[in-house]
Amino acid sequence: MQRTLRSNTRFDLIVVSTCIVLALAARALPDTLREPVATGMRRSFLAPLVMLQESAERGRQSLLSADAKQSYLDSLSLGAMKARSLEGENDRLRKLIGLGSGLRWGFVPAEALHGRGVRDETTVILSAGSRAGVSRLSPVIAPEGLVGVVDQVDPTMSHAMLWTHPDFRVSAMSPDGTAFGIAQAHLTGATGGYLIELRGVPFRSTLKPGSLIVSSGWGGVWPRGIPIGTVLQEIKTSEGWARTYLLRPEVNPADVYSVMILRRDRLAKGFDGVWQSVAQADQAAQRIVVSGDSAAKAAALAEAAARRAVIDSMARANGAPPLGATPTTPAATDTSPEAVAARAAAARAAAQRAAARRAAAADSAARRADTSRRDTVPRRDSVRTDTIPHRPGATR
Amino acid sequence: MNLGGAIRAIISFLIFVVLHYTLRPLLGWRAPMDFLILALLLASVRVRPATAAVIGFVLGLISDSLAPDALGAGAIAMTVVGFGASYLKAVFFADNLVLNAFFFFLGKWVFDILYFVGEQRVKGVELLQQLLLWSPLSAAVTAAVGVLLLFLMRPLLEPAPA
Repeated sequence: MQRTLRSNTRFDLIVVSTCIVLALAARALPDTLREPVATGMRRSFLAPLVMLQESAERGRQSLLSADAKQSYLDSLSLGAMKARSLEGENDRLRKLIGLGSGLRWGFVPAEALHGRGVRDETTVILSAGSRAGVSRLSPVIAPEGLVGVVDQVDPTMSHAMLWTHPDFRVSAMSPDGTAFGIAQAHLTGATGGYLIELRGVPFRSTLKPGSLIVSSGWGGVWPRGIPIGTVLQEIKTSEGWARTYLLRPEVNPADVYSVMILRRDRLAKGFDGVWQSVAQADQAAQRIVVSGDSAAKAAALAEAAARRAVIDSMARANGAPPLGATPTTPAATDTSPEAVAARAAAARAAAQRAAARRAAAADSAARRADTSRRDTVPRRDSVRTDTIPHRPGATR
Repeated sequence: MNLGGAIRAIISFLIFVVLHYTLRPLLGWRAPMDFLILALLLASVRVRPATAAVIGFVLGLISDSLAPDALGAGAIAMTVVGFGASYLKAVFFADNLVLNAFFFFLGKWVFDILYFVGEQRVKGVELLQQLLLWSPLSAAVTAAVGVLLLFLMRPLLEPAPA
């Protein structure tokens, strides 16, 4: 028993010594041998483990970059949200420019500064004051329509009452002048939303939902024709002698940022066609975008056609059939009467196409020459007659 | 050890090897756990010292092949650790988690000492810092994970009767 144990111990020692010697030999291998041995192991039975480790490393990288990716996504979302609001602002400013060009004169552009909390939009501070020509009771308008009226004026800024203010009133009418009334805020509490009431409409006058209501110009504060809102429905009130309508306002007070203050001297001149021209300017901008797309498409088609014509002419010059032409087949050598007639017809058609192409090319060349003449020849009326030296004795 | 016990031991061993190449790089800790040492130690206490030395040699070569500059260093260290673990199994391997944790801690630390000294890449203060700070930390993490896995895989890891 004791001998067996001693024998086993000796065997263990021999094995462990062999392993250590082998490990030391591996440690002592030169670099030129060490690398191939390690590579061989990695590429053979260790390959699955290496693959597992690579997957784990990739997983770790993904985990580490998850936060960065999340913040990147957040930034993108924020940017997208900002872009949406910028697009809206851009649209509003474009309309404002259209309104300015329609008004031509007598207005003061200003920024509306909201100083209150949500759903408390009854007054705003405007960034223009008496130095810019603003006076008390000057109307404040936006491209969409009526905003409010100036009630206090400082030299550099002013305070305006929006149409949502309980004290605000404006004389209103339908554009055809069949119905008149007084527009004021529809005060229904915090959950009612921003709506306008058109009160005091004569009982004989009815307004259909969707009808536009504009300022009537009566009272001397508001000029005629400024959009106020569109009719939603008639509402029942205690006044039995007149109708009251609920209007959806053209201007949302929460969206008012850039406005125009009308000067008093402008009011007397009228505003006929101003809001129509705003709509027309918007449509014109859309038309410009569409026509730009069409022009780009036409230019691309013309370029492709010219390139095809050049390739065809080069192919003809080299004796090869043009692009799209049927390649020569054994049928071309057919001498039967039908085949000869078909070839003759094809030749005639090709000649006609070539003639048409030449005519088109000559026409476009002539047009180009005509254009260059117009551009390069000085205009006859550009020379002033009083600068031409005249001969002595000549009469003018 | 009967056939069933051998199969369970091999499965456990393979699980530890796979964990070494998946969980360890996924966590990427500065003081990483060493599942290969755990696999070696748990295999060594079930076989005779010569076999444990061979297992350690092969495992060491496998781990060295991923770092060719240190080829052989891991093989030496694992051979010694495997042989020593098998030789001392009667002393250490008991059904006591604390003793097992100490066993794992010691095995990992001895491996690191032999490996870093044999590798000869880290020297001076850096070597001391590695052996006295990071290696004990890594050994502690390895021991903790080893004990946890022992607890979870108790049905698979029942030791063979001495």
